Amino acid sequence: MIRVNNLCLELGSKVILQRVSLDIKAGKKLAVLGANGAGKSTLLKCITQEENRYSGGIYLADNDIRQYPAAERARIMGVMPQKTELAFPFRAQQVVAMGRIPYGDEMRCDALIRDAMLCTDVWHLRHRLYPQLSGGEQQRVQLARVLLQIWQPHKEQPRFLLLDECTSALDPAHQHAVMSVADRFAQQGVAVLAVMHDVALAASWADDIIMLKHGQVLASGGVELLQQAALLQQAYDLEASLASRYAHQNQQWASFN
Amino acid sequence: MLQARNLPFVRRLAHSPRLMYSGLAMLGALLLLALFFVALFFLALSHGPIPLALADVWQSLLNAVSAADIHSQGDWVVRELRLPRALMAMVIGAGLAVAGVVTQGIFRNPLADPGLIGVSSGAALAAVAVIVLSNGALAFWVEWTGVFALPLAAFIGALLVSLIIYRLGTVNGQTQVAMLLLAGVAINVIAGALTGILTYVADDQQLRSMTFWSMGSLAYGRWPEIGALLVCVVLPLLWLPRFSRLLNALLMGEAVASHLGFNVQRGKFLLLAAAALMVGASVAVAGMIGFIGLVVPHLMRLLLGPDHRQLLPASMLCGATLLLLADLIARSWLAPADLPVGLIMAIMGGPVFLLLLLQQIKSARAG
Repeated sequence: MIRVNNLCLELGSKVILQRVSLDIKAGKKLAVLGANGAGKSTLLKCITQEENRYSGGIYLADNDIRQYPAAERARIMGVMPQKTELAFPFRAQQVVAMGRIPYGDEMRCDALIRDAMLCTDVWHLRHRLYPQLSGGEQQRVQLARVLLQIWQPHKEQPRFLLLDECTSALDPAHQHAVMSVADRFAQQGVAVLAVMHDVALAASWADDIIMLKHGQVLASGGVELLQQAALLQQAYDLEASLASRYAHQNQQWASFN
Repeated sequence: MLQARNLPFVRRLAHSPRLMYSGLAMLGALLLLALFFVALFFLALSHGPIPLALADVWQSLLNAVSAADIHSQGDWVVRELRLPRALMAMVIGAGLAVAGVVTQGIFRNPLADPGLIGVSSGAALAAVAVIVLSNGALAFWVEWTGVFALPLAAFIGALLVSLIIYRLGTVNGQTQVAMLLLAGVAINVIAGALTGILTYVADDQQLRSMTFWSMGSLAYGRWPEIGALLVCVVLPLLWLPRFSRLLNALLMGEAVASHLGFNVQRGKFLLLAAAALMVGASVAVAGMIGFIGLVVPHLMRLLLGPDHRQLLPASMLCGATLLLLADLIARSWLAPADLPVGLIMAIMGGPVFLLLLLQQIKSARAG
């Protein structure tokens, strides 16, 4: 599991994160929500150690994350970024194969690569050049790469999947397809944390949510919190009528969960 | 519909993923390049004002390996003139090509090469300063370093520029590609201006030496220079393939590379230092030779794809071959005149570069 304890981050005089705490248990799906600039992506960056000037603690399976060597961490934690720029003409399959870099066996795991690519529906694109794929196709190729990184448990250790607004370039069908892939991993015991923009998608997918505002936790708990108009109004500075419409919509989405 | 078998070989290679993937095709292409390289090497040793038979060249090589005494004029020509020159062309060609691959990988820009980010001009400025100011402000430097004054200065210049650019382009531990490239442009302008000012205070003798040297030439390659290149270029060349995977991952951005388990800042610094070492040493020994770091990686990517595990060794071989060819042309075209090889490279490389640019524009439009 991932445990974040009293996380604070100040850059210069600006407070980015303030006493943020959260827990994700193995097999659970947590959606991190909040308005633009609320600190969602920075929280993710702290967990992935791209940002390490924070105070407070981040623990993977009760071990301080700073104790993990980067290579070791890469074998148990897959991180799907918001956008990945790659201008060089790799084939889609070569990009996915890079998910095995932490294991150093890219050349000897064709079957795994095939499974991961089938899982995100990009196996038919395997020979295509990555820069020539559409935004959504590139996103799915990247997801296959990230999944390949944690496809199997490494030495029986827990696995973590972190998604940073990764459905932004996808059409609704592929958005739900991606989230159901995340479901599949959660069912295998992977702890999934997703930074999400789309409240409705979060309502239909997550087990728990954490709502951030100005770097602080506004609310955390079960996904049904998203059905509270008052919370949505406060989190996104919405008008009351709009907030209740979203809350109602989330209620409907939750029934599909 | 477009049939792959109707296309010429290279385009067929690009059109057919199976061929591109096939290790056999890559091996075949590299083998052809290697054969061409060996043929060029022997041509470089036998061809010149004193033509030598291949058998004599072979005998001289055997003599050189067994460190036997020089026994004839032909033997001397091969062992003291042509062999060191050919070796220098090979090592510098390989070094500059690989430095290009490395900088393009770090900056995630296929058009970035050490010339572009100012490393070469930093090395050149330092060396020109030593040439011009050897009797004045930098007399102490020449006194301290003796015959190594020029190569040491060029290496320090290259390394300094690399570090400055690295500092300028790194904000909060993350490289800002646009900043790096712009910093490179600025350094090129500053180094160019300072070099220009130095040419005004230079005397005639210095000016001639500077002009000749700034156009790049392998004419002064002797065994001591080869020794320096072995340390400064060959060692990094042997060491860099360990970084192939990091370079591949870096193409997707530093965040992705760190998610894949790399210590990105450390790796990037080591790569930059290795490239600076190779470029600095090459500039010091042979002057400014452009285009190799730009053209060779492009050609090899076209043939083998962008995977650095193949790209690094292939660029080494191709860079060595290309500079050997350019030097052969430089000393035979207007013989007995010995043209600066930098000019030949520019004549050969410029149009190829333009062609590649046009291709890129075309494919961008088509895509």
